[in-house]
Amino acid sequence: MPELDELEARLARLEPADFERGLAVFRGKLRGAEASYLETCVRCGLCADSCHYFRADHELKSIPAYKLSQVASVFKRHCTVEGRLASALLGAKSFDRAMARTWVEAIFGRCSLCGRCSLNCTTGIHIATVLRAARSALAEMGLVPSDLQSVVTQSLESGNNMGITKQDWIETVEWLEEELQTAVGDPGARIPVDKEGARVLFTVNPREPKFFPLSLQASATVFHAAKEDWTVASEGWDLTNYGLFTGDSVQAGAIADNLLRSMQRLGCRVLIIGECGHGYAAARWEAPEWLGREHGFEVRSFLELMEDYFREGRLKVDPDRHQDPVTLHDPCNLVRHGGVCEPQRTILRRTVRRFVEMIPNRAENFCCGGGGGQLAMARFQAKRVQAGGVKAEQIRRSGAKTVVAPCHNCIDQLMELNREYRLGVSIKTVAEIVADALVFDQPVGR
Amino acid sequence: MISGLQIGVLASGVWALGLLGALHRRAQGYGRRELFARAAGDPRKGVAYAFGKGMSPAAKESAREHLPTWFAGVGYHLGILAGLGYVALLLVGIELDGMLRLGFQAPLLAGALCGTGLLVKRAFTPRLRALSCPDDFLSNLLATAFVALAFARTISARLDAAFLAETMLLLLWVPVGKIRHCLFFFTTRYHMATHFGRRGTFPPASFPPRA
Ligand code: SF4
Ligand code: SF4
Repeated sequence: MPELDELEARLARLEPADFERGLAVFRGKLRGAEASYLETCVRCGLCADSCHYFRADHELKSIPAYKLSQVASVFKRHCTVEGRLASALLGAKSFDRAMARTWVEAIFGRCSLCGRCSLNCTTGIHIATVLRAARSALAEMGLVPSDLQSVVTQSLESGNNMGITKQDWIETVEWLEEELQTAVGDPGARIPVDKEGARVLFTVNPREPKFFPLSLQASATVFHAAKEDWTVASEGWDLTNYGLFTGDSVQAGAIADNLLRSMQRLGCRVLIIGECGHGYAAARWEAPEWLGREHGFEVRSFLELMEDYFREGRLKVDPDRHQDPVTLHDPCNLVRHGGVCEPQRTILRRTVRRFVEMIPNRAENFCCGGGGGQLAMARFQAKRVQAGGVKAEQIRRSGAKTVVAPCHNCIDQLMELNREYRLGVSIKTVAEIVADALVFDQPVGR
Repeated sequence: MISGLQIGVLASGVWALGLLGALHRRAQGYGRRELFARAAGDPRKGVAYAFGKGMSPAAKESAREHLPTWFAGVGYHLGILAGLGYVALLLVGIELDGMLRLGFQAPLLAGALCGTGLLVKRAFTPRLRALSCPDDFLSNLLATAFVALAFARTISARLDAAFLAETMLLLLWVPVGKIRHCLFFFTTRYHMATHFGRRGTFPPASFPPRA
């Protein structure tokens, strides 16, 4: 495997100065909260089953506390006096080549930064945030798996993570606009591009124009039905931000800035993040911290906006169009890390006949296994699919025929799980479910 | 007349508290994160949840699925608290008797049994053993011996010296090893809770959260 060799080669080339830089970045990521987290683990092991990796393979290396302890041992050795003086007794370890390899394997290879362990830790350690700080150190040392890093690089270079040209994007939108007009029977239906002063700027995961245009069309149908004053941007429209996964805050901030510049350029009031977990967490919660400033506008999930439409009576739906049982996947970055938990439920309860919850659900839901950049790292694919077995089992037990996932990354993973575990379900976004159930009294073009 | 051992216990207590204070300052010395994203929820409600309902097995799968260990942990910590209370009483010259003595003996005995159980579990569960470092065994051993000796001391005053000496050892080790979580449990939980409280994840819309 070339990636394996390449990463090994990078590890072999590390100089003492690289370790120093990695440690400096790691220390720089710590605040009182993280320093406290690093002092607290009692190695009770009760977090083990909260991690889908451990549930799937039952290996020591998949226990959250094991991953945390690899980072904490370095912290003890390099950042505390007692760790230096009594390293063997206290489990303090040097940050050397072997440890860097362990970090890569544990923190990139066996963690999707889903945060489920954080909620289940006996003492309350936010483990995922510590592991993200460790990813930042690895990023500084050039140890991000190259396929993950290339997604970030692509975003920085082309403005979106798939290198879609402006012309291709505009042409896709124009084609979808025609499709929308046909679908709703209204030649006035629009997917506005660069409409200055529109209330809403809608942002998109590049997977939509590239592979799932019907998903984008569904969102447009919802906007159309709700008579929203909205637009997409011709540039700076990609809501994804894989800098969240590599841990490089400078690059992540630069990617986030693409969206903010679109908002400024178009003078919109609300930035709506399409159905994407990490995109929401990045734009809503992390971007202000990366950039060191508050957004001068509202950032909301499309789910929250759709919930508003329902509340305001702007959408009429016929739930009889969805007779089969429908279940909902809770993307970690949207729900556990993002706090957007109920709007999708409110919407689905109104839109489908039989909505069944997965058990567990909401903030306790299991990661699908595709988060944390896992989908982009080919070398960890087998582990990812194995860890996703926990989600597959949840889906199977729900008895649902349709799985709704308000996240395109999750959808990719769920589609793979669907094939691998022969689940026989269809997988949709919330907007697709809503659009399929929409009832138009008459053409609603403006 | 205060004995040398009693002075030793007091000095160890000062050492423990002093170093715990220093550890707290060291951790907080990393500074506070300036937050720019607008809060979606109330961090204070997050804290109230995390130190209240959020600790219960109903709220936490890790506790729900490991109830014997969870109860053992609770019993162990109650025993340690009772032991510390007992030392304090001895230092001011109060000997327990009657119902009050029983009131201490019950948690002390339960704590000693729970501590022993957790130590055995750590030693004989391969995965837990692999996760452990020497400090885990030493800390557990010192705390369990402390509770066990406290219980024994309630029965026989002849164990006074052994109990006080063990108390000294425990207090000396508190800030050095993992027993420092007696401080960091609170700061860690506070930080985690404010984080999830701000984001609106804590408290969950319904309780128990799975409903
Ligand atoms: S539950 Fe928390 S304290 Fe216990 S081993 Fe896991 S990370 Fe450490
Ligand atoms: S953040 Fe998620 S994937 Fe990572 S260790 Fe915790 S539970 Fe496992």
